Amino acid sequence: MNVPAASLRRLHQSCRALAWGAWGILLAALAGMPAQAGAAADPNKVLHVAFEAPDDGFDPARTVNLYSGWVNEAIFERLLTYDYLARPAKLTPMTTEAMPEVADGGKTFTFHIKKGIYFTPDPAFKGQRRELTAQDYVYTIKRLMDPVIRAPSANMVSGKIVGLDALAERAKQTGKFDYDAPVAGLETPDRYTLRIRLNHPDYNFLYATAYHSLGAVAREVIEAYGQQSGAHPVGTGPYMLREYVPRSKIVLVANPDYRGYVWDFKSSGNAWDEQLVRDMQGKQMPQVGRVEISIIEEEQSRWLAFQGGQLDYDKLPQSAAPVVMDGAKLKPEFTRQGVSLYRVTEPEITYTLFNLRDPVVGGYTPEKIALRRAMAMSYNTKEEIALIRKNQAVKAEMLVPAGVVGHDPDYRSSIPYDPDLANRLLDYYGYKRGADGYRNFPDGKALRVDMRREQDSVARQYGELWKRGLDKIGIRLHLTFSNFADNYKASIQCELSSYGGAWFADYPEAENFLQLLYGPNARQGNQSCYQSATYDALYRQFVATPPGPERNRLVIEMNRQFEADTPWTLSSTRYRNWLLRPWVKGFKKHPILLADWPYLDVEKH
Amino acid sequence: MNTQTSANAQPAHAHSSPGLWIMAWRRLRSDRLAMAALAVVALFLVTLLLSALGLVAKHWDAEVGVNYAPPTFMGAQSAEERGVEGMHAAEAPVPDNPRDPLGPVLKQLRAERDAAAAAGTGGGDAPLDYYGIVDPLAKEIAELRSTLGKDKAAAPVRRATLPFGADKWGHDIILKTIKGSETSITVGLAAALLATVLGTLFGALAGYYGKWTDDFFNWFYSVFTSIPYLLLILAVAAVLQQKGVLTIVLILGLTGWTGVFRLVRAEYIKHKNREYVMAADAIGASDMRKMFVHIFPNISHISFVQMSILTVAFIKSEVILSFLGFGVPVGVASWGSMLNEAQNELILGKWWQLTAASVAMAVLVTAFSLFTDALRDALDPKLK
Repeated sequence: MNVPAASLRRLHQSCRALAWGAWGILLAALAGMPAQAGAAADPNKVLHVAFEAPDDGFDPARTVNLYSGWVNEAIFERLLTYDYLARPAKLTPMTTEAMPEVADGGKTFTFHIKKGIYFTPDPAFKGQRRELTAQDYVYTIKRLMDPVIRAPSANMVSGKIVGLDALAERAKQTGKFDYDAPVAGLETPDRYTLRIRLNHPDYNFLYATAYHSLGAVAREVIEAYGQQSGAHPVGTGPYMLREYVPRSKIVLVANPDYRGYVWDFKSSGNAWDEQLVRDMQGKQMPQVGRVEISIIEEEQSRWLAFQGGQLDYDKLPQSAAPVVMDGAKLKPEFTRQGVSLYRVTEPEITYTLFNLRDPVVGGYTPEKIALRRAMAMSYNTKEEIALIRKNQAVKAEMLVPAGVVGHDPDYRSSIPYDPDLANRLLDYYGYKRGADGYRNFPDGKALRVDMRREQDSVARQYGELWKRGLDKIGIRLHLTFSNFADNYKASIQCELSSYGGAWFADYPEAENFLQLLYGPNARQGNQSCYQSATYDALYRQFVATPPGPERNRLVIEMNRQFEADTPWTLSSTRYRNWLLRPWVKGFKKHPILLADWPYLDVEKH
Repeated sequence: MNTQTSANAQPAHAHSSPGLWIMAWRRLRSDRLAMAALAVVALFLVTLLLSALGLVAKHWDAEVGVNYAPPTFMGAQSAEERGVEGMHAAEAPVPDNPRDPLGPVLKQLRAERDAAAAAGTGGGDAPLDYYGIVDPLAKEIAELRSTLGKDKAAAPVRRATLPFGADKWGHDIILKTIKGSETSITVGLAAALLATVLGTLFGALAGYYGKWTDDFFNWFYSVFTSIPYLLLILAVAAVLQQKGVLTIVLILGLTGWTGVFRLVRAEYIKHKNREYVMAADAIGASDMRKMFVHIFPNISHISFVQMSILTVAFIKSEVILSFLGFGVPVGVASWGSMLNEAQNELILGKWWQLTAASVAMAVLVTAFSLFTDALRDALDPKLK
């Protein structure tokens, strides 16, 4: 974000001001204070945006909900972040003076945190200004391992930092996590220096420090609000929460204490980037004073809101794609309105997971694997892409999507769409049909698969597609519907028999996807509670292998093991078509960063 | 008593005056609009019956048309126009997975299928038995599999157009609308019956007994009516979770009895002190007998009219519930679920499913409402 350049510029201005007598002294005094760049944000510049699903609170440790993370990125600051324009994604400092010093062959990272970064005022600080220190990051990292919190992103640090797992283990025995206990791998030699020592070299650890769950929280705030911490986010970032109506509306306003930065990102040379640089170069950020986020789950309602001018930019609903898009371009009637299109392939996969601990679809014996495999073979991804995704997606062949390191464009799944073969497989393993045409377990008990989806009409279409497929192989499907936040919470606890999910890259590396099936992450990200000794061994080997052909080979091996056990059915990777009104400036969807608002401007309209 | 009865008895040759129902029927018959409405309602009910018996729309979920097949008068559309151009591309061969524990079994099954196809024995339809057991249901199962599975061998050629088009899966919209009417009307009638029975029972108890019984039911009534109706049914739907026609009937029936209760209670308060009830009391009739044998026939027209009004309201409610995703489960056709599906199709210009469900519902609701109005007039003794 080029924050050092901004600070130098202000310092230079302050020195000149000193030479101008009394006014100069005053300006110098102001310059000596933390920059009040939040004041640069114009409260009249309001962005209206929509989320397609609700958040589940804003405590970074308690959620990996995409929409919570979207807001958290604007409120809480991480040690590192990503360059806004650089592709492939490139890490840059956020609250640190520079990129960390690396020692011990990739096992020790030393971060120097900038001085003069302050948390938003809150009653928990008892009227004192509260500066961000290295200890805040130590506390933030420790929270992810607190067994009481059951942080779904614990995998970011679990097993990695010297002494941290032992502390978590003690907490499991005593029932209380000792936040004051020293951890050998988390040292703070001084107020602004954080030294992290890892058990083993980890080639992705720095990505974790840019993830929204590692956004710095203040211990006083977390302890003051307890279980309500999700409704009281207090960070150091460019925005703060002004209004929160759960599952309906979120309003953010610019943080007046935010230090700010000058928009100074480098174009990669393409026309879109060049225009962005022309529009934004040199602006003091953030520009937008208020962000109003509406939760609109129905695609059509969101589309109507965009068409009606109630949203400044939004993802084009897939159902509307045929009438808005001409191939990969906008139709002329929309370009005439000044609407512009930013199209990108999401670094994500969509899938339907099976709970491996479930008495119906779980288990590792051949007949149990055969049941899951037959279900996977009955699901018609082509129909999904054409009829539900409106051709705005591609088939996901492997766990690692395009745009993420480890993806192999030549890889093909070994699981075909073949309901006839699926029928034969079920016959072979003794899942005989009853008088009603539906199959029973080999022991004669009735077989019924429960599946959970969201409540919107698109999710219902997925239900229909699954039902058509399972009818073809004689498996009775029982669908239930609930909202995304509740479904996600239940699935993360492995309480759902099967569930349709999606995973969006937290960082652009295969590990972020492969960890979703790592055994020790069960109930903390591994929604299938999949436990395979082979997969886990390959995963550990993969994590310890430096980037290169051997690491890529391990990715392939893990994919084949995944297909062999079939804990999920992979579906597709979506194209995202972002439609922008002409007054929105500076937009370029980052593959990893969620919150765009600190990088945008809104012109008068 | 015998003497008195004898004195009050009608002479055998005297002209008997028509009863309430006969007079009501005569009045109804003279109302041409009411009879036309009744004919329309009867037509829907007959269709429902035929559908329920499996005589029509039995195979409504057969994929007889191409995806989004337009109505015949619009002419056929290309796959690109229908937005499904990539769907019928051939399946690419898949690689072997050396880690797959099912690999040898799948290889064997593929080989058997290929051999069966080469021998012309149908391949995909042949039931396999790996246990040497002769399955007595093999024939039926093959038929069921054909129905459920729509196996490739049994799949008919899909039509490019249908009289009123097809939905995204290729289901005939006319058959789907007929099957949908079965669900929607059944829900409307059954829920209205439940609500009327509850409302009448509660109203009778409250009106007849009065005092604390009346207070209790009035409190109960006030609680129910103080909650916005749509929120109440959504709350009950969320609590019940389980989807299905029975669930919707329960939701609507358990939340819709208040109007009937209010009217029936008032009638029972009015009637309980009338002479014929006191006469029944004098001969030692029990409370239940007085309530349901003596009083009820005299106020039954209110329940009857209320039930017909509720039927219309509940058909609409089922549509709303299904539209909001709280209604019938996936795989069950109803007008509400058709409208739910159609909301995304409308953006694409596929208007036929929306039109079919809307028109069917509008015609039935209008006819039923007109009939209900006429029925109320016919049964109202003040309009004699």
